[in-house]
Amino acid sequence: MNLSLTLPEAFVALLRKFDVLVIIALFLLLTLLISMDRTIEFMIFCIFVLAYDVLYGYMGRLSFGHMLYLGTGAYAFALTGELISSNPFLALLVAVASGALLGLILGPIIVRTTGACFALINLAFNQLGFFLALVAFSKWTGGEDGMSVYVDKVWIFDFSRKTTVFCFALLSLIVVIFLMRRLTNSLFGLLLRGIKENETRVQFLGYDTFAVKMVAFIISTSLSAFAGALFILNYSYVTTSFIDPLRSVEVIFASLIGGAGSVYGALAGGVSYKLISNYLPNYVQRWEMFLGVILLLLVFKFRAGVWGYITAWYQRLEATPAGKSGQPPEVGR
Amino acid sequence: MISTLAYGLTVGGILYIISIGLSLTFGTMRIVNFAHALVYTLGAYILLTSLQKLGVGFVPAAGIAVLAVIPVSYLIERYVIRRLYGQSVDYAIIATYAVLLIGVDAIKWIWGAIPIPLSDPVGASVLILGVDLPVYRLIIILISLLIFVALEAFFNRTVVGKIIIAGLEDKDAVASLGISVDKYFAVAFTLGSCLAALGGVLYAPITAVNPYMGFQVLLICFAVVVVGGLGSIRGTFVAAFALGMVMSITGRFWGPAADTMVFVVMGLILIFKPIEA
Repeated sequence: MNLSLTLPEAFVALLRKFDVLVIIALFLLLTLLISMDRTIEFMIFCIFVLAYDVLYGYMGRLSFGHMLYLGTGAYAFALTGELISSNPFLALLVAVASGALLGLILGPIIVRTTGACFALINLAFNQLGFFLALVAFSKWTGGEDGMSVYVDKVWIFDFSRKTTVFCFALLSLIVVIFLMRRLTNSLFGLLLRGIKENETRVQFLGYDTFAVKMVAFIISTSLSAFAGALFILNYSYVTTSFIDPLRSVEVIFASLIGGAGSVYGALAGGVSYKLISNYLPNYVQRWEMFLGVILLLLVFKFRAGVWGYITAWYQRLEATPAGKSGQPPEVGR
Repeated sequence: MISTLAYGLTVGGILYIISIGLSLTFGTMRIVNFAHALVYTLGAYILLTSLQKLGVGFVPAAGIAVLAVIPVSYLIERYVIRRLYGQSVDYAIIATYAVLLIGVDAIKWIWGAIPIPLSDPVGASVLILGVDLPVYRLIIILISLLIFVALEAFFNRTVVGKIIIAGLEDKDAVASLGISVDKYFAVAFTLGSCLAALGGVLYAPITAVNPYMGFQVLLICFAVVVVGGLGSIRGTFVAAFALGMVMSITGRFWGPAADTMVFVVMGLILIFKPIEA
């Protein structure tokens, strides 16, 4: 470590080193500021945003139907609990497996496409899934009324208590963050970013981009399914709103607000979006209009998102003593 | 059977009228324009207000609705769409969706969120091959065919139309001829918006007018544009009527599956013929 660190630099270095502790502390603080119920929801949503960011932030593919994968996990969890066994861990496992399986089946069709086509084909599949849950399989899913799910107490995990759910969700989030960081800092993460910039060149280097995209897609779908299962574990209730294609935009907004392509950005985005959508309606009656204006501002003025600007601000702070001028904002890694 | 056919043609006609604008924006600017649904909804609401407050007949009210969306579409084109030209598709999707959110909320502010039913403006029906068909539906089919003929003439016979078609093919080549392509794209955008408003006006008496009426229709219109081939005017025509028939035939056997079947068709098309965009 450089010994000639200034005080803010040392502080940031310390934050980086113990970032997991900082994240835990911030979420604990959030339980005090708002309720624990809400914080659980925020954390699970953050897992979903992280899963989404693998495709959007790193690989540069905007999916407009990611609720399908969330909903698959949610329904897989609920149906396992209902029909097979009420062991919550078995149900979680089945949920993640079904997310992965869906990714494996749909992946070969979806990952070949880019741009608007990628967005729309996801939307089409999401609409199909929504229909299956709402109408075709309504005998099992309960259709619009949804279904209740009860899980057993296993060892120390009694999920009827909110504290247990909170600890489990926090633990899951930390594990997911850890995995994501390992993933994105590896060669695989580099290849994903390469595909975002220029896929042909990555192919030229001799890499099989199809395989890379498939793996990224399956990681994203299984993590989304995991988030969906956690939501049901928390609510013990599943409705079609968990697979509603119109809600797919929520995760896109969260990703954009936070800043795509960074683990911290996804966390910042998930929490910011949830804060906006949960509390803004209490103060501003026309909150959708407000959200729309925020989004336009994000797209036209603040494309790097909250985290991108924090990074840029810090870089400027670092650069000033050396006499360099402010750098243009860059998305943080 | 006849009524299923007629219903399919009616839906197809309306889908065609709405999809033209989407197809043009995608073809010219490679932008997936969610704000299109706003113009569609706005058309229906302005028709409603003209009917109730001004007390005019259906046809003048429809005219007012179609003309009233021109300034709105100009603002959207000038301040949102044009700034997104040549940028990543993702930002265009998000920005136009934001416009849709703002617009729908404004509509809820002005008109309220409760769906307002509208009566059939013609009210009569004719007997064709032993089946009672509302005249209004037949008029819709007729209007959509007229629009198809008019657009064919516009794009093949007039200079403006030819420039737009040429711009769809190769924007840079047209620009190098000294033609300000963006101006003509703005014309195409406004034209598409007016047609979307007309679609909203025509569909309003069949369904109830509500702030969210645009969302579902928009998704189906995207399917029409994708199936018809992005930016292809004739392809959109064929796809609109084909998918309209798919909807009405599916709806006849299994009502709730009608919308979903459209997406199944779109998925199949994308599997076998993915678009590079």
